[in-house]
Amino acid sequence: MTKGKLLLLFIGAGLLTYPLLPLSSDYVLHVMTLAMVYMILAMGLNIVPGFCGLLDLGYVGFYGIGAYTAGLLTIHYGLPFWVIVPLAALNGALWGVLLGAPTLRLTGDYFAIVTFGFSELVVLFLTNEIWLTRGPLGLPGIQPITLNLSWLNKAWYFEFYEKTPNFYIAALMVALVYFIMCRMEDSRLGRAWYAIREDPLAAASCGVNILNYKVIAFAISAGIGAVGGCFYARWSMFLSPDMFKFWESFLVLCMVVLGGLGNIKGALLGAVILVCLGEILRESLTAIGLPAETRFIAYGLIMVLIMRFKPSGFFPAVASSGRSNPLLIDLQKRLAAGAAAKEKSRDSAA
Amino acid sequence: MTPLLKIDGVSKRFGGLMALADISFDVHEKEILGLIGPNGAGKTTIFNCIAGVYKPTSGDIVFTPGDTSIRINGFKPEKMTELGIARTFQNIRLFTSLTVLDNIRIARHCRTKANFLRSVLRTPFQKSEEKSIVEDSMRWLEFVGLASQALSDASSLSYGNQRRLEIARALATEPKLLLLDEPAAGMNPKETRILVDLIHAILDAGICVMLIEHDMKLVMSICERLVVLDHGTLIAEGGPRDIRENPRVIEAYLGRGAAGNA
Repeated sequence: MTKGKLLLLFIGAGLLTYPLLPLSSDYVLHVMTLAMVYMILAMGLNIVPGFCGLLDLGYVGFYGIGAYTAGLLTIHYGLPFWVIVPLAALNGALWGVLLGAPTLRLTGDYFAIVTFGFSELVVLFLTNEIWLTRGPLGLPGIQPITLNLSWLNKAWYFEFYEKTPNFYIAALMVALVYFIMCRMEDSRLGRAWYAIREDPLAAASCGVNILNYKVIAFAISAGIGAVGGCFYARWSMFLSPDMFKFWESFLVLCMVVLGGLGNIKGALLGAVILVCLGEILRESLTAIGLPAETRFIAYGLIMVLIMRFKPSGFFPAVASSGRSNPLLIDLQKRLAAGAAAKEKSRDSAA
Repeated sequence: MTPLLKIDGVSKRFGGLMALADISFDVHEKEILGLIGPNGAGKTTIFNCIAGVYKPTSGDIVFTPGDTSIRINGFKPEKMTELGIARTFQNIRLFTSLTVLDNIRIARHCRTKANFLRSVLRTPFQKSEEKSIVEDSMRWLEFVGLASQALSDASSLSYGNQRRLEIARALATEPKLLLLDEPAAGMNPKETRILVDLIHAILDAGICVMLIEHDMKLVMSICERLVVLDHGTLIAEGGPRDIRENPRVIEAYLGRGAAGNA
């Protein structure tokens, strides 16, 4: 194991034990959990612009759909969180397919405009369909995440109002999404997406059905977005339509671009940086007498700076799909052995 | 015997421009067919019609991979690939930011079928399929002589190797018919020689080759039959010797006066 990996492991372990420390502050925990929500979103969004090369400006729409699905199912039917997560993911994916199937024939800018319109539609729907969503009044009183283990022991029924358990559930979900993303990236599916991003015509002539794979990408991305929304709903316990405004999409897109399009770890890092930056700016800008909203100007400035100095993000997506896969490691060894044998025979010939 | 591919009265019109006018010819099994003609004659257009990029305005393209003939006009490119028609491009179109191996692995897409769930769960089926994808890919890389560079980036290959990688990628889809669009363009004599050997090896593997090429020496030496296009019409068809002496072909390449003098 290299030094870098060891350091990373150490930092990870440190962060994960932070909530258990006696000095841990609720505010820091809240920011960390929020960062993890955005990690889920950034990983999900990464599929569409990162793997497939399509600009998606309406990601927050699926986030909103997932959040309201979770909120409404909790309030009206009292379903447990663990049942709602897959349902919200399915609902998100369903809307992903409904939006994607007709519009993914569009390319580039036109597709971006359609997705932008979609996210605005979702906000309008949430604002105006008062019978369902209570509109601008918002959706208060959502139960927190519960864990019902009373079938094991009568006393094991937990309601997670505290910050700490929510932090761990968020960490669990980030780990799960990360795992799924890594496996998808190093598979037939991930390679098909990479092919579409690199050269659609060549991908088609390799037998990749471009439209199908774009729709699949869009649906999975939407499903992950909805999972993020689902956790957010049960964690914040209150939803309102203006939480899902366009700029959230833009923020998540910034995270993906900042980390490096198409790189899963990059999306994680981007989420951490921008969430922390948002918090810092909120404090510091109000301290010097500017309204907190001016932080959006700072985001814009950051984007400009990234484009100028790190056009491919912190982790440029290298063609590393599955470099750590045992199959490839084995192949690498065989190739090295072959090269060595060749060298030897050349030496003996000389 | 039915020909592998039958082009029957194919026309393609782009607005007012007649790119192909009533072209008919056959491609037989186990042959190398050369497609030549001056620039803008419609050679790549007919390739694109066969490969599914364009839909012919009229006429039929009939493909007979096994016992059954299929009319394939207007099929999508991925469908053509699945049926057994693979192609390379005039200007190389590799997945440049991926590795050499990944380029080939993507080409195995149409012959494999692991889906989302199987990929995430890494079922035994998916694992063994991934293994066979790597093995098949390596076999094709060995076939074109690029196996030792399997894990380097596709963009780091030399020009001639990139051409060969593109051919390997097309071969990895297990085609019956391989369309090569100017494979020798920009190659030095040594690379061209390697290419000729490669094309013969492809033929020996039971794959029929159709070739667009401007290097006349190459075309005349490896093709048993040639089809000559000019301004979207077929002006000659036959063996290399006949074509070389055909006055209409000389006229198309060199102009009217040249044909008279010859």
